Amino acid sequence: MATRDSLIQVTDLKKHYNMGVIKALDGVTTNIYKGDVVVVIGPSGSGKSTFLRSLNLLEEPTGGSIIFDGVDITKKKYRDASGKTVKLNVDQLRQKMGMVFQHFNLFPHMTILDNMILAPMKVKGISRAAAEEKALNLLDRVGLKDRAGAYPIQLSGGQKQRVAIVRALAMEPEVMLFDEPTSALDPEMVGEVLDVMKELAKEGMTMVCVTHEMGFAREVGNRVLFMDQGKLLEEGSPEDIFERPKNPRLQDFLAKVL
Amino acid sequence: MDSFIKLSNFSKILPYAQLFRQGMFVTVLLSLFTVVIGFCLALILALMRLSNFRPLRFLGIDKNGYQRETGVLAAISKFNPLNFLATAYVEILRSTPVLVQIFIIYYGVFGMIDLPGIQLFGFIKFDRFFPGVVALGMNSGAYLCEIIRSGVQSIDGGQTEAARSLGLSQVQNLRYIILPQALKNILPAIANEFVVIIKESAITYTIGVQDIMSAVNAVKGATFVIIEPLLVATAIYFCLCFPTSKLIAYFERRMSRGDKR
Repeated sequence: MATRDSLIQVTDLKKHYNMGVIKALDGVTTNIYKGDVVVVIGPSGSGKSTFLRSLNLLEEPTGGSIIFDGVDITKKKYRDASGKTVKLNVDQLRQKMGMVFQHFNLFPHMTILDNMILAPMKVKGISRAAAEEKALNLLDRVGLKDRAGAYPIQLSGGQKQRVAIVRALAMEPEVMLFDEPTSALDPEMVGEVLDVMKELAKEGMTMVCVTHEMGFAREVGNRVLFMDQGKLLEEGSPEDIFERPKNPRLQDFLAKVL
Repeated sequence: MDSFIKLSNFSKILPYAQLFRQGMFVTVLLSLFTVVIGFCLALILALMRLSNFRPLRFLGIDKNGYQRETGVLAAISKFNPLNFLATAYVEILRSTPVLVQIFIIYYGVFGMIDLPGIQLFGFIKFDRFFPGVVALGMNSGAYLCEIIRSGVQSIDGGQTEAARSLGLSQVQNLRYIILPQALKNILPAIANEFVVIIKESAITYTIGVQDIMSAVNAVKGATFVIIEPLLVATAIYFCLCFPTSKLIAYFERRMSRGDKR
C-alpha cells in the first residue's frame, strides 16, 4: 500500500439537471489517495460515469467540492498560497489527469504517433524529437511500436484502447481516469487492455476506473465504490464489497452480475 | 412558318464569339474570387456562431460560486453577442433576394466609394467587377457559414472531450482536431457551393459585370436575335457546371473510401 496522501478529496458532490428533478450525482463524498486503484461499480445510470467525468470537469458539478492538489476545482477562482485570487486554469488541471474513454476517441486524421505527440508538443511545449522518443517508448511498452505510422482505423479495438491509454500517459498525469475502457471491445480483446491497466496499477499509478469487469475490480482494485441513483452507497476493500456486501442494493447488483 | 430556332441566326452571332469567351473568363474568375471571399467570411462567421463568448457570464453565478440554473440572470448570462451578430447576418442574407443585395452593395455602398476605373486583363471593368464579387461573396459567405458550422458540429463530441482531457485549449482543439476533420467532411459541399455560384453569378450582369449574360445582352442589342445567344450561354454554363459537379462527385467517392466510421 502506498502512502495515504490524499490526492483528490470529493465532498458532497452534486450534479443536478432540470432544477434538481434529475440528480445524476446526489451528494458523493470520498477520498482518493496517491497510489489508489479505485474501482467504481454500479448499475447503468447510477452516476458512476458522471462522477468520473466531474473529476476533470468534463461535467460541471452543480454543488459540493473537489479538492485536487489543494485547490477546489469546482470554483472558477481560488486563493493561492499568497492569498491572491487566481482564475482556475482548467487546461492545466486536465493535464494532470489522464482520461481513457469507452470509445477510445483517437484522432482519426492523425497517425498513432501524431496522436501521441500532439498534446506533449502543443501543451507542454517539448520538442518533436523528445516527444517522439517518449511516444515510441510508451508504444513499445504496450507492444505497438511497429504500428506508430498507422492510422487509428487500421487498428483493432483493443489496440486502439491501448494507444488511448499510452496517449494519456504521455502527458505524465498524476491520476488516470478510466471510463468503461473495455465496454466497447470484443470479448477476446478485453484481456489485452486489462493487462495494460494492471501493469499501470503495479507501477503505482493512481487510477479511478469505472468498469463492469468485476474480476478486474477484485484483482487490481484496492478500493471499490458502489454507486446507485447518484449516491455512493458502499465503499470498501474488494473483499468487503464482494464477499460481505452490506447494502441490499449492492447484494442485489452482485447477484445479477456475478 | 418560322421555326423557333434558325441556324442562320447562329452565323449572325459568330462575330461576337470573343464576347462570349471573355464572358466565360469573367464568370469563372468571379466565381473563384467569390468562393475565396465567401469561405474566409464563412469561417469567421462559423467561429462566431460556435464561440462560447459570454461577457455577462458573471451574472449567472450565484454568491456561492455555482452556476445558476434558472431565472432571468441565468438567461442573460448565456447571451453570446458574437453568436447573435453572426446569426443575424446569416439569417438576413439568406432571407433576402441576392438581386436586392447586389443592388444595395453596388448603388448603396459603392455609390459612396470611388473605385479606380482600371480594366483588369484589358477588358474587365474593375468598378463593376469588384462590387459584384463583394456582393456575391457576402451572400455565399452566409450559406458557407452554415455548411462549416454543420461540419464542425458533425464531429463526434468525444473528439473534443479527448482533446480537452489531454490539456488542449479550446482554440487548440478547434485548430488541430476539429477543423481538419470538419473541412475534409465538408469539402464536397464547398465545391457544390462553387457550382451554385457559377450559376448565380449570372445575376451580376444587372450591375454591368461583363459575364456570359452580358455577352447575350450585347448580341441581342446588336443583332435582335434572342433565343440563339441564350442557347449559347446555356451551353457554356452547362459545360462549366456539369463537369465540375461530376469531378466533385468523383473526389467525394474517393475520399469516402478510406474512412468508414
